[in-house]
Amino acid sequence: MKRENEFAVGLVVIAALALVVGGALWLSGAHLGKTEAVYTARFRTVGGLGAGSPVVLRGVRVGRIEAIRLAPGNWVEADIKIYSGVTPPAKPAVIAASASLFGEWAATLISSEPPPVDPNIRQALEEAAAVGGGKWPGATLPDIGQLTAQASRIATDIGTVAARVQSAFDSQAVMDLRRSIHDFGQVADRLARVTNEQADIIGDVGSNLQHGSEALSRAAVDLRTTLGRVDTATNQGQLATILNNTAATSTDLRSASQDFRQLMAAANKNQESLVRVLQNADTILSRVSNRSGTLGLLVADSALYRETTLTMIQLRQLLSDIQANPRKYFTFSVF
Amino acid sequence: MIQAIGRRSISAVEAVGRVGHFVMDMVRALADIGVWARLTIVQMRRIGVDSLPVALFIAAFTGVVLALQASYTFTGAVPLYFVGTLVGKTMMLELGPVLAGLALAGRVGASMAAELGTMKVTEQVDALETLAYDPQSYLVIPRVLAGTLMFPVVVAFAIATGIITGWLTSLVLLDLSTQDFIKGLKLFYVFKDVWFGLLKSASFGFTITLVGCIVGLGTRGGAEGVGRSATRAVVYSAILILVLDAFWAVVLL
Repeated sequence: MKRENEFAVGLVVIAALALVVGGALWLSGAHLGKTEAVYTARFRTVGGLGAGSPVVLRGVRVGRIEAIRLAPGNWVEADIKIYSGVTPPAKPAVIAASASLFGEWAATLISSEPPPVDPNIRQALEEAAAVGGGKWPGATLPDIGQLTAQASRIATDIGTVAARVQSAFDSQAVMDLRRSIHDFGQVADRLARVTNEQADIIGDVGSNLQHGSEALSRAAVDLRTTLGRVDTATNQGQLATILNNTAATSTDLRSASQDFRQLMAAANKNQESLVRVLQNADTILSRVSNRSGTLGLLVADSALYRETTLTMIQLRQLLSDIQANPRKYFTFSVF
Repeated sequence: MIQAIGRRSISAVEAVGRVGHFVMDMVRALADIGVWARLTIVQMRRIGVDSLPVALFIAAFTGVVLALQASYTFTGAVPLYFVGTLVGKTMMLELGPVLAGLALAGRVGASMAAELGTMKVTEQVDALETLAYDPQSYLVIPRVLAGTLMFPVVVAFAIATGIITGWLTSLVLLDLSTQDFIKGLKLFYVFKDVWFGLLKSASFGFTITLVGCIVGLGTRGGAEGVGRSATRAVVYSAILILVLDAFWAVVLL
């Protein structure tokens, strides 16, 4: 009985030990019996990376994070265990990043030649590499939580803007906007029509310009011909003659102008005389009108008027007779 | 009322004093290694090996339920391979030690209190003392030591059983591949998960057996007292397991 107890207890304990040790090793991904290389990477922060986190190379798991510790100079050092048979890239660098949306982190091995495109990652790697010491440079990408928090802030801002837009665009604003759009459409139609008309006009103007240009061209040809003639005339002295004639004409015009001026002066004088004559005539007419004097009496006397009229008739008859029989009244001789 | 409160307070302090005195006697009895060493194996067999079926049975169904409830919770939102993560973490950190501890509190604590209580009321303990056997080294140390050592063993098997049944459930009922389950199982695994659960279970084993011994050796009043001691041992053990569970979570996590 005693041996049986010891055997049972021993068996269970050994089995439990094997289970715990084997299970722990299997779950941690340890590769027993294989040589594993350990490297150290230097980070400013390791984010969510922890002991046991996978290390991947081009998407394939090639190791695990063995340990993480704080280091002098505000650095964090992570021991990376790489499985046997895996060759790290030349000039290796490590990027710690979230492997999924659910908090899994992984360390990705990359080559720092060429440097990463992301300026923040490149700067972090250069900073870590500058310290030296044979440790791989490391950089950490933002946690998915930070990204979602940022996205949440952006979404909140968009929501605020949307709410403001919604409050600004009430039914009246929508109607106004709709009316404005309608008006704008009409304006656009009119503008299109005007543009078409103007295009036609511009086309006509262009056509006229073309005609004008052709006319100008012809005029230029004519002018060139005229100038050629002028040039010929100049050569033959005709132009000089014309100029001389023009000068003489100008002189004659100047003297005529002087004569005209004198004539005008004489006319002014005659005007004064004429005024006096008119004044006298007015005096006479006044006297006639007042029936004073001989002429007045003549005008006022109807018998005299009749006599005068009769005289005028007889005089007109005499003139007619003179026109008809001039020789009866006039005798014309040279000597 | 004030007298009642005072009496209860004094009684509580006296209980703590008795426990302290008991533990001191037990520590002193550790020197009798020749007495308790050979008896410890027997207790390890009774407390550990013989308790395996109960613990594994509970763990097996716990693993099944965990996998199904996890898939029910994760549907559509979280990848299904997290079933492996939840089953593994929960079995290692919490349900494996606690459920096994509660089950063994009923089985081991009650039987221990009843056994020692019977020995007490039938004056077998007095007879041992008469024969110059220290009850601490002859009765208590083997049980407490066996419980402290074998509880982690039982819990280790319980954890493994729960994970295996969770995996089988995922494979058969959830259409989850073995690779995905293992991926989830390994996802957030750290060695602390294992030793945390085993350390906790060791403390549970120590507590259950110690409570069983204290309550059993403190039995008064014949068969009725024995029954009362068995019940008290289970209740005290269950309460202390939960208190210790919270304590370790606060201290170590």
